[in-house]
Amino acid sequence: MRNRILGSLLLVCLSVLSVSASDQSILLTFIPNVQFSPFYVGIDGGYFEEAGFNVTLEHLQEPDVLDLVAVGQANFGIVSGEQVILARAQGRDVVYVFEWFQRYPVGLAYSSALDLSDLSDLSGLKVGIPGRFGASYSGLTTLLHSAGLTEDDIEVVEIGFNAPEVFCLGEIDAAIVYVNNEPLQIRERAQAGDCGAVADVDVVSVASQVDLVSNGMIVSRDLLADEPGAARRMAGALGAALREAIDNPAGAYLTSLNHVDDLPQSADFVAELQAASERQRAFLAANPDRAAIARSRQDLAEALAAQFEAALLTQFNVLLNTIELWEADRLGYSDLASWEAMRETLDLMGYLDGDLGDLADAFTNEFLAGNDG
Amino acid sequence: MKLSLENLAVAFSDPQGGLLPALGPVSLAVGEDEFVCLIGPSGCGKTTLIRVLAGLQAPTSGIALCDGVPIARPMRGFAIMFQEANLMPWRTVLDNIALPLEVAGVPAANRYKTVRALLPLLQLENFDQAYPAELSGGMAQRVALGRVMVQEPQVWLLDEPFGALDALTREKLSLELLQLRSRTTQIIIMVTHNISEAVLLADRVIVLSPRPGRLVADVRVDLPRPRFPEMIYERDFLRLAKRIRASIDEISG
Amino acid sequence: MQESSRTATAKIEKRSLSARGNTLRRLSPLATVLLLLLIWLWISDREIISPILVPPPADVAAAFADALADGSLAAHSFTTLGEMFYGLLLGVGIGLAIGYAIAKAPVLEHVLSPIIVAFQSTPIVAYAPLLIIWFGTGPASKVVTTAVIVFFPTLVNTIAGVRAVSPNLLDVMRSLDAGRWQIFRLLELPAASPVLLAGLKTSSTLAVIGAVVGEFVNPQRGLGYLVTSARNRYDTPLVYVSVLTMTAIALSLYSLVALVEWRCLSWRRRSLN
Repeated sequence: MRNRILGSLLLVCLSVLSVSASDQSILLTFIPNVQFSPFYVGIDGGYFEEAGFNVTLEHLQEPDVLDLVAVGQANFGIVSGEQVILARAQGRDVVYVFEWFQRYPVGLAYSSALDLSDLSDLSGLKVGIPGRFGASYSGLTTLLHSAGLTEDDIEVVEIGFNAPEVFCLGEIDAAIVYVNNEPLQIRERAQAGDCGAVADVDVVSVASQVDLVSNGMIVSRDLLADEPGAARRMAGALGAALREAIDNPAGAYLTSLNHVDDLPQSADFVAELQAASERQRAFLAANPDRAAIARSRQDLAEALAAQFEAALLTQFNVLLNTIELWEADRLGYSDLASWEAMRETLDLMGYLDGDLGDLADAFTNEFLAGNDG
Repeated sequence: MKLSLENLAVAFSDPQGGLLPALGPVSLAVGEDEFVCLIGPSGCGKTTLIRVLAGLQAPTSGIALCDGVPIARPMRGFAIMFQEANLMPWRTVLDNIALPLEVAGVPAANRYKTVRALLPLLQLENFDQAYPAELSGGMAQRVALGRVMVQEPQVWLLDEPFGALDALTREKLSLELLQLRSRTTQIIIMVTHNISEAVLLADRVIVLSPRPGRLVADVRVDLPRPRFPEMIYERDFLRLAKRIRASIDEISG
Repeated sequence: MQESSRTATAKIEKRSLSARGNTLRRLSPLATVLLLLLIWLWISDREIISPILVPPPADVAAAFADALADGSLAAHSFTTLGEMFYGLLLGVGIGLAIGYAIAKAPVLEHVLSPIIVAFQSTPIVAYAPLLIIWFGTGPASKVVTTAVIVFFPTLVNTIAGVRAVSPNLLDVMRSLDAGRWQIFRLLELPAASPVLLAGLKTSSTLAVIGAVVGEFVNPQRGLGYLVTSARNRYDTPLVYVSVLTMTAIALSLYSLVALVEWRCLSWRRRSLN
């Protein structure tokens, strides 16, 4: 009897901690950054509110995001697809409902002087990597495998998240990088003559070789059972916000200024972005096609580059590069092949030892806009 | 061995940066085999004088000499006993008495042999492995006395060695010192507050004035040796004690 | 004298009487551990908290057996222990040296205290990444984080211990014309040893924190790496195994110092009884 009273007390405590219907946390990784601009647009643009959610964003370590969603302490989290596979193999029944990054963000950066058009020429080279963990390591494993190589054919150097520094010191021949970010930094240094003998960098992305499932939104199986409508409304809101960020990067950057402390800005730059954002709204009102919108982004990048110094534009360019990883006709959609490819990579890395079950249970596209029926 | 003080004075600096005279100037000569008691009101610089002789305190002016050599640091052949036993709580009785020998570099076996030979004389035979905290105050002072004796000093500097003890223990230890004295022929300079104790033990009693201490009387004690406690009731003893009391009263009044 | 020997006998009797109480006292931590284990069993048995967060003891035991069998637990523990050992050597050594210097020359305290206080009041996790950059991704940087974290308690205790040395005993040593080294060896070291050993007890548990913080910031090897890697593979039982191993190491080291303390300070026990 006493046991039962204690038990229900604990349960009460836990349920107080868990979230109520309209206040929702979305658990993210990393720190506030312009790459999370779709979520900022979702909040400031009212997309989440319209869907019935009062959203707060929290940044945690990836495994913590996953476990908190798995035990129901939070309903929504953003993790990479590989984490979903690893966690499901260890009994966490989370489901991936929206693929945010359509292209895997990792790639290999190397000096343009080097000819790596055939990836097997990597053999014998020194490759820098943050460490043998996470998306970087999965990306390297996949790249090597697609080139018919293994880790033993190259020299792996663990360098932490210091690729631009170490690369420009000439200590490595190539570096595993996030394709939307570090190549920009290296290129800036190279153009300033600040990168040793390197004049420019080329990048071969993992996505160009294999379609690996990437970052997306997860929910718990319990939420799907109890409140499938919540998952649908959240996926819809995220899809709409993501579309707005893709279509109007100037507006997304301005919104991000409200959420990210150290984004580069100046009065002129903000005024120019506001004007660009207004123009883009008018342009979008005419329902242009995707190719035209992509061109509009390029035009904006060129116009800004002519007006402002590079340092001011770094994070805006990161946003533009990242948009290329998000962009797709059907936002949120992931297919079984990309999940299979990721599982194969994890297998190669020796990371899969639990019982994964059916990979098709790991994700669903049924809550995406257009799947209303 | 001869000691002499020539216009010796010590002053300490006060917090305001001035100088506070503590002792002297004092001039005094102590010959071979003399047992000298220093007596005087509290704070008259008796302890300071002992510390100068021990080489622990440098004089501000004047000089202290031992056989014509200035005392600037602890001298070989000098041993000091403080008001408190000052034993090391982590050392046994045996090791506390052996400390001076250890510092002098005497091998362990030899120093323990020397100390064990002393224990009966100190009446500490059964306490060689005891720690200081397990000893009574009188026993602790005996250990401190042993630490002086083991050095076989030619000059004993005793700074009110029984001052912290109760009256009975104090008397008992003075008598023991008296017995030891009958067997030794070294210089002993002892600070005391107790006139009877001074007269009973010393060859000379030096009376010092209040701060800064100056020599006001130098009384020779011509009582025969060996001496016994009963002597304190004798006429000669009382005469000397009265004379010393008178010089003390003179300077205090 | 008779009176004195009587008090000595009384003290001996009192000592043997308290022996039984000591045995009871020594068993009570064991009872606490057992109680915690029971609560753990009950929580996981009823699934009051999800097994994802609190795995059943049996799973943890199995993970422990696995990690023991394939040698990985021993290898990572050994790495961490090595970092702790050299970190303690470095941190305690420098702490003793600087602490002694400050105790003897108070002017040094004014010169050094801003640096030392700044170092101490800044959380190690905040500048551990810098240490990794300065000292590399190898074990050296973990040795340094350990050294930094154990340095301060050693320093403070050394200063307190050496300053607390009785000036009267210093007079005794000086009157014997003892040299600096003799004063250190025969007086200051034994006089300060109770405080120094108390500091070493604190340092020994902090050493685990230092090494593991280093391994967290730059996971390569060691128990901190094992936690990170198990966490990244969602292997909660192995996380528990790693954490419990750290606890065991910290407790063992603490007990080891306590044992040294017990043997070195027998005089103190006898004096206090």
